[in-house]
This record gives sequence, C-alpha cells and structure tokens, in this order.
Amino acid sequence: MPFISKIQRQFDYNRFSSTTPIVIDNGASYFRIGWAGESEPRVVFRNIVQRPRHKATGETVTIVGDHDPALLKYFDCTRSGPRSAFESDVVFQFEIMEYILDFAFDRMGATGSGIDHPILITECVCNPVQSRSKMAELLFETYGVPSIAFGVDAAFSYKYNQQRSVCDKDGLAMCPGFATTHVIPFVDGEPIYKGSCRTNIGGFHVTDYFQRLLSLKYPYHMARFTWEKVEDLKMEHCYVAQDYVSEARLFLKGAKEAEEKTKMWQLPWVPPPVEEPPSEEEIARKAAIREKQGQRLREMAEAKRSSKINELENELRGLEFLLNQLGHVQESDVRSFLAETGYVSRQEVESARSKVVQSLRKQKGEQTEIEKPDAASNEKYTLINIPDDMLTAEQLVEKRKQLSIKSMSDGRQRLKQKRYEEELERERKQQLEEERRLENPELYLEQLRAKYKDLSEKIDQRKRLKTNGGSSTNGNGNSLTGSVGRGERLSAAQRERMRLLTTAAFDRGKGEDTFGAKDEDWQLYKLMSKDNDDDDDEPDEDNTELARISSRLQDLDPTFVPKVESSSQPAEAPRIRPLTKEDFQIVFGVERFRCPEILFSPNWIGVDQVGLDEMAGVSMRRLSCKDEKLEQRMTNSILVTGGSSLFPGIIERLEAGIRMIRPCGSPIKIVRALDPVMDAWRGASAYASAPGFHTQTFTRMDYYEKGEDWLRSYQLKYSL
Amino acid sequence: MKVKKMEAEVVDAELVLPNYLSFKRIQMYDKYPKGQSRGRHWKHLKQIIQAENYQNYPPDEPNYVNIESPPSMHPCKRICDITGYEAPYYDPKTNLRYANTDVFKMIRSLPNESVQRYLGMRNAAVVLK
Repeated sequence: MPFISKIQRQFDYNRFSSTTPIVIDNGASYFRIGWAGESEPRVVFRNIVQRPRHKATGETVTIVGDHDPALLKYFDCTRSGPRSAFESDVVFQFEIMEYILDFAFDRMGATGSGIDHPILITECVCNPVQSRSKMAELLFETYGVPSIAFGVDAAFSYKYNQQRSVCDKDGLAMCPGFATTHVIPFVDGEPIYKGSCRTNIGGFHVTDYFQRLLSLKYPYHMARFTWEKVEDLKMEHCYVAQDYVSEARLFLKGAKEAEEKTKMWQLPWVPPPVEEPPSEEEIARKAAIREKQGQRLREMAEAKRSSKINELENELRGLEFLLNQLGHVQESDVRSFLAETGYVSRQEVESARSKVVQSLRKQKGEQTEIEKPDAASNEKYTLINIPDDMLTAEQLVEKRKQLSIKSMSDGRQRLKQKRYEEELERERKQQLEEERRLENPELYLEQLRAKYKDLSEKIDQRKRLKTNGGSSTNGNGNSLTGSVGRGERLSAAQRERMRLLTTAAFDRGKGEDTFGAKDEDWQLYKLMSKDNDDDDDEPDEDNTELARISSRLQDLDPTFVPKVESSSQPAEAPRIRPLTKEDFQIVFGVERFRCPEILFSPNWIGVDQVGLDEMAGVSMRRLSCKDEKLEQRMTNSILVTGGSSLFPGIIERLEAGIRMIRPCGSPIKIVRALDPVMDAWRGASAYASAPGFHTQTFTRMDYYEKGEDWLRSYQLKYSL
Repeated sequence: MKVKKMEAEVVDAELVLPNYLSFKRIQMYDKYPKGQSRGRHWKHLKQIIQAENYQNYPPDEPNYVNIESPPSMHPCKRICDITGYEAPYYDPKTNLRYANTDVFKMIRSLPNESVQRYLGMRNAAVVLK
C-alpha cells in the first residue's frame, strides 16, 4: 500500500485562533502538516521539490511534492530531478525547505500577513545546532511565527503509543525510517538520547537496492523501474525473512514454498500479430506468376535470337551473291566492281563471308569449327623463301605479311609442343610418385601429409598477412607495427605502399636529391601503384600444388579431411527470438526478502554499522544503567515505528535477533506502533494540544537573547 | 502579442508554487533575486558537522556524530552478489561473490560495466578519480 498524498487546499484556516499550534512532521520522505488536537494531518505530500521549465512559457517554475504525473507532461523535467532538503535526516538546503514550507502553508489555506500560530516541527535525534537554528530563523524571519518547538518524531510516536498502552514508560523506540534508523531508549517516559544510536540506513536504501537489483536483472526493462514504481513494489512484495540463510536455501533448492513465495509483475505486453502461413492457393498463384514471367523472358530471348539469325542469313546470302557475281567479272575490273560495296578485294569478301558463317553457326548453337589443320598452310607462305630483291614492292608487302602470320602460327605450334611436353613430364612425375608410393606407402603418405600441412600453412599465413597485416603472424619482420587501429585494417602490401607514399611526401629538401640516378629508383612507382595489390603468381602455384596434393591425399587416405575455408561463409546471424509474454514478466524471488534484509545487514550495501537487531543491544549498552530490572522492563516494551517497520515479519525477526543478544530467559516483547507512519504526527498533535505545550516553546526573543548555545541544549520534555 | 499562459489543468491543480505569498515577510524573489548567481549558500552535512565543533564538548553529551552506531560484532553474512544466495566462493578476477558454478559461469560472461554495478551495490566498485 503506497503512502497517499493529500494536497487539497484547506479553507478553514481563519477559523483557528492564533493560539492553536500548527504541527509539522518534517520527515525525510513525507511532509505532514495539520492542526494541533486533530487526529489527522490536513496536508501530506512527498518532501521534494522540482524546478522544471514550463514548456509553453519557458518559465522555470517550482513544483513541490508529488503530483499527478499526467500534468508533468507540460514541463521539461530533464534538467532537474526531484530534490530533497535532507541529507541523512538533517535539513541542509534551506532554499528547498522554504519552498516546501511555502507550499504547505499555502495549502493549509494561510492568508493574511504571516503565520500567526505556534509551530511544533519534528527533527532528527541530536540535530546539529546549525540546522536547528537555520530552521528557527526561517520560521521566525520569513513566516513571522510567534513561537517554535522542536521534537523528535520517534519520541512522539512512542509517547502516542504509550498513552494508548501499547508500550510502557520504560522501553525502546526502534524507528527504521526513510534515510536513517534510530533506536531511542525511554526511561520514565522520557527519551534518553545518550543511549540512542543511529544507523544510516532506511527505506530509501531498501528501495534503491531493489531498483538496482531489478535493473541489473532486467536490463531491457530498466526504464520501467522508476523510483515511484519500485517504492510501490517494495511495499507490495517485500518482507523480512525469519532466517535469511535458510530462506535463501529454499529458493536455491526450488522448494515448493519458494515457488509460492515467488511473485510476478506482468508488464503490459501485446502479443505480436501472428504471421499466417500462405495458403495453397497463394503459393500456386505466385508460382503461376513466376512461370508466366519466365515464359515471357524465354520468348523474348528466342525472338531476339531468330531475328539475329535472320539478319545474318540475309547478309550471307548477299555476300554469296556478290561472290557469285565476282566469278563472272574480269580480274582487272574487280576493284571498280566492288567500289560501291565497300570491299576492296575478293579475299576480303570471302573472309567476311566466313565470319558471318561462323557467327551464324554460333547463333544456331552449332560447334564452331576447330582450327583448320595446318598441313595445307605451308603453301600460303609462297613468298617467304624468295629473296627480297626478286620481288616487286607489292609482293614485298605481301611477304612481310606472310612472315608475320607464319611466325605467329609457329609460336602457337611451339606452345602446343611445350604443353604436350609438360603433360609428359607430369605423367612421368606421377609415375615416379606412384612408384615411390608402391615402394613404401606409409612413408609416402607421411611425406604427402607433411607437405600438405606446410603448404596450407604457408598459404594461410600469406592470406593473414594480406588481410590482417602483420598483427597475428610474427614470422615477418614488420609484425610489430600497429596491431590495433588503422594498421590492422591494411594488408602488408597496402601498408608498405602507405609507408612509401609518406616517405616520398615528406622527404623533400633533405640533402641532395639523387632520385632517378639509378634505374631501380623508378621501381618505386611500380610499388606505389595500386595494381601492385593483385598478388604475384607464386601463391597461385602454391594453390594449385595444394589442390593437387589434397586431391591425391583424398584418393589415398580415407581419413584425410581437406581443410575447409573457415572464413568463406560468414557465421549466420543469430536468429531473433520473438518476444514472449515471459519476457515481460518481472519475477521477484529472493529479492523480496533480500532488499529489506539490508536493515539487518547494512554492510551488504557498504555501510559498516550494526543492523536493526544489534542496535537494541548497542542502545542498552550505551545507556549502561546497570539495573537488571530496568533493562528487563525496557526489553519488555519495544516499540517499532517508522515507515520501514511495515515490512511483514520484521517484528518476529527482531524478536529472534534481540533474544540472541539478551541473557537467556529475559522477557522480550516487541510491538509495532498502531500506525507506524502516522503516529509521529498524531503524537505531536496530541502533545501540541496539551495545556503545557506553551512552556516548551521558545519565541523569537528567546532565540536571539539566549543564543545558539542555548538552542544546542534545548530539549522538549515529552511528559507534560 | 498573445501572452502564453499555463494550461488550464495545470492552473486548476495549482501545481505551480505562486511567486508571491501574502503570509511571507520576505518573498522568495527578494531573498534570491533573479539573474544573480546564487552560488552555494548552503553547507553539506559534512561541513555542518565540522562547524559544530563537537570535539569541544564533553564526550558523554550526545550529539549527531557520537550517536552513530558502531560496526557490527557479528560475523558478516556473505551473499552472492547476483542471486542473493549464500556465497561460499569469491572470484578474484571480478571480486564478485558467488553461490555456485552456474553463477560463476554467468559472472565470467558479464561485461565489466555490470560487474562494476554489482560491486557498486555494496560500495566495492572501482572508483576512478
């Protein structure tokens, strides 16, 4: 159950006489203000101030307390979060305190000039005098209050419950609050601050711990865990375990009780629309469309082909006709006859025809004729063997042509011969290898494997060098250069080029320029040029050799598995799992009792102080009353109050804890206050309405006459 | 010129604290004039305590500092930083405490940022200054 704010404006301010005190419970989390003698405070709100910027007007405004979050959409709250005037229960920012008091008095319905009512305001135990005097100053100077009294909230709560016989006049008030936890011993109905102790841990820390745990456990939903929400969750789900360790073990084992104790918060979740698998009809329709489109494409290609064939056939017919005509024409008239066709000689026409024939064949899908046999070719070179001086100029040209054609065909011939020889050589090698294999198969295989390994490593290394620079291989000289950043992205060759370029760029004007004196200097440009990247042929050779060995190994060795290229196929991207309802469930298991447990073990959040149960012992020790009876009376009347005492199970746990530090058989009675949250204000209200209240207040005159030292030792008498 | 105004619902809720309040002797804008740099006119708790000079007063007189609780005498319960179970083990690499092998596997896969946040919860994170 979250605390509820009441911020409605009151309209009966003027009905109260100026002797009726205003009672303020100025708690670190909530501010409560009301009239003395009433049972409920009039105005309650969170003790925070925000100073956001109003979006429409651009004004920086002051907003006190908690309001309907829907209204905050008109404000830009990004610059400043909610601020508190407190640090560890001590008011230290009086500007914020003033805003809060402004708001509080305004909502109480204050009009007129000044607040003409005595004020009873709570403070923490042993409030530093500076904070106290600043508060007094603020109330006197700014609001013009006639008199003030300071009291401790936990003490008021204890007195309130004492009056209702919940606890006795001797006892302990344990008050786990918002920022701190106090234990105050009471003797004869008066608090003994000498015996009190304070641990700087409270509900704030529990919520903070809970929030951190949740956002670490569910990072995706971090934005959901706002302070207010976690505060609500804490109040709804958290409880104090009787014995932390055994409770945690239950959860570790996954016992049934643990399952029952696990709570869940379902975040709003809308299932994504389910994609329906396409129906048969749909599939068929799509296939039909595809088929149709394919058909059309095929038809278009066919049409194009046939038109091309047609064209070529026409051309061929034309050329054949021309040749036919040429047959009837005199040799000398050929040139004039051909003038208008664009051809020069009969040969040209013939070659054109053969070209057309070939392309026609290609179009029709027939095999192109393989190179004509060379046998008859020799007679083509009719002029070669005739000495130059016996030829005419025309014939000389012809001879040169023939010569070049002959050398070309000779070269081709030689290449063929070479290939054939290589083939022979390879066969011979294979033969040799086969022989060796037969001689000693084991050794042979071993050698083959070693060779394979060598080669593949070599190739791998080169690849790494090329793609990854020298970072991963330390075989090469320049392996030290940049394993991170730019160096890593460049291959060795690229880096070398960069080096050359930079040295070339920056080495001007250094001594004598001798560049170009040697021929090798010009090689530099070749190295710098980009085409240099395409690797030399050596790796190719290695690759073919590797392929050969691996195929051979595959033939001979059944256990051999050729290394697959690891980087060829990039790892398949992880499939995104569709989010389910479960992904939007916030499960509270151990957290339910782990968070409040920090009240008992503050060192879990790095606060090296005793926990709640031990504080009772510390308090008694400090009191050092040496009166067994009194101590027994005190442990027989332990009141637990304050907002953090609302956790279920805290009373039982405290009892167990305190029993451990007390002598065996001592009476122990622990009770929770009637209303741990409101009783402090109610006690203060009852106190302020008592006839003797005015004897406990001090006026502005008192304050200025008696000075700070007096204020330091100022202390209320709670039993009037 | 049209003067921009607050939205009606904001005005209705009286969300914004008015600048002028009749019951105040000194208004906020007089105390903290606009445009002037406010500086820091307040002290932190630490400074307040220092200014109190508690050392000048008898030690048996209770004050804000000496009523603070002492460190615990009980052996510290160690719990797993992640799960909250009992933590018999401690990972020297991340400084996290853990309950069992499953949690150990998990903490070893955690990014350093999360590790620091877990450590930060018990005020043991590495703080760079």
